[in-house]
Amino acid sequence: MAASMRLLVRRAIRLSHKNITLTAAGAAARSDCCRGSLVCRCFSDEAEDRSTHFGFETVPETEKAKRVYKVFENVAQKYDIMNDAMSLGIHRMWKDTLLHVMHPQPGAQLLDVAGGTGDISFRFLDYIRSQEERQKRRVARSSQTPSWRDISNNYSTQDEPRESRAVVCDINKEMLKVGKQKADSLGVSAGLSWVVGDAEELPFDDDQFDIYTIAFGIRNVTHIDQALQEALRVLKPGGRFMCLEFSKVNNPILSRIYDAYSFQMIPVIGEVIAGDWKSYQYLVESIRKFPNQEEFKGMIEDAGFYCVKYYNLTGGVVALHSGFKL
Amino acid sequence: MFKNVLSRLVTETVRSRRYAPNGPVIQRLIPASGPVRTFTDRKGEAQPQFDASLLDVLVCPLSKKPLRYDAETNELINEELGIAYPILDGIPNMIPQEARLIQKDSAETPTH
Repeated sequence: MAASMRLLVRRAIRLSHKNITLTAAGAAARSDCCRGSLVCRCFSDEAEDRSTHFGFETVPETEKAKRVYKVFENVAQKYDIMNDAMSLGIHRMWKDTLLHVMHPQPGAQLLDVAGGTGDISFRFLDYIRSQEERQKRRVARSSQTPSWRDISNNYSTQDEPRESRAVVCDINKEMLKVGKQKADSLGVSAGLSWVVGDAEELPFDDDQFDIYTIAFGIRNVTHIDQALQEALRVLKPGGRFMCLEFSKVNNPILSRIYDAYSFQMIPVIGEVIAGDWKSYQYLVESIRKFPNQEEFKGMIEDAGFYCVKYYNLTGGVVALHSGFKL
Repeated sequence: MFKNVLSRLVTETVRSRRYAPNGPVIQRLIPASGPVRTFTDRKGEAQPQFDASLLDVLVCPLSKKPLRYDAETNELINEELGIAYPILDGIPNMIPQEARLIQKDSAETPTH
């Protein structure tokens, strides 16, 4: 009850910013909400009477988070192998595309929510490193005969501009543990941090990050609008929100093949490799329940992002949504 | 290999504090403060060190106020609300339900 009030009031406040008069009822709701939102933060009992979808099942909202947690706890160890098996390695291409569209510059601060095993963060740090090397090469080439101005600049610049950093945040400890092990074995730990946190209630201060990514995680969040609100909050002004998620395939032939593959093959692969049919059944069902490209774009715009656009990858199997906080 | 990763982690914390130029790792370890001392103490265990540079961005998810790192209990403490977030394997757990209430005089009770 109070959760819906919060939503209503947030919308009302935003409308009021656009100089639309609020009725008395709206004002009363806002004062109610201050109490309600405090209660909401500490207890989520009010949400028990609301239900949501868990794949094709209907479950109470409090249930969903727990069940999603269990799904990922079970699959954590085999997550990366399963990704390769299910998508036939194409997921690497999707993630690389995300990085290319992101085009991060050295010094950028990334928050990778639902980052789990850290795929996006590793790619981010690699990209930045190659950018830095390219810059160094460019500087080296151009400074073969430095002008007096360049020489004086080299004396006066600070040691290093801000170091880029990637923070991986996930609600599931197991996924982060697997990610951390991967990082340790790759020897990548500079500028990488791991935090257990809830996407709906991020443990970060306002205006902290240049880029917020959530790759294949947002459909598992119980309250997507809350997660989008939090994303808006922690991004710096000018910061970019990027979301990779499975979406709707528009081509009817491709759609039939995709559906057949999803429902016939994927749970079987899940059973064979990870020994878990149900989790992968949940996975394919949750994809169907997630809003399509345009709807999700609308949700992102409602949260307050500007210049929202999406790119369809692999014919719409995956959509990359991007928005800016201005 | 493990030592390499950890020593790099430590140089990162040291570097971020001192803005020192790239120098030999070993020389920097000795004059550094706090976290390094605990690291060398627990070198026998496989206990990864909590990265203190995270404290710059981390806040309590409930009150959005900065946290204090307590090295003995290995927790992040929010004084105002009296709760402590545990750190496991160097990864801080910032889920409010998993935080521990700090009782002043009586024994501690977990919130869940």
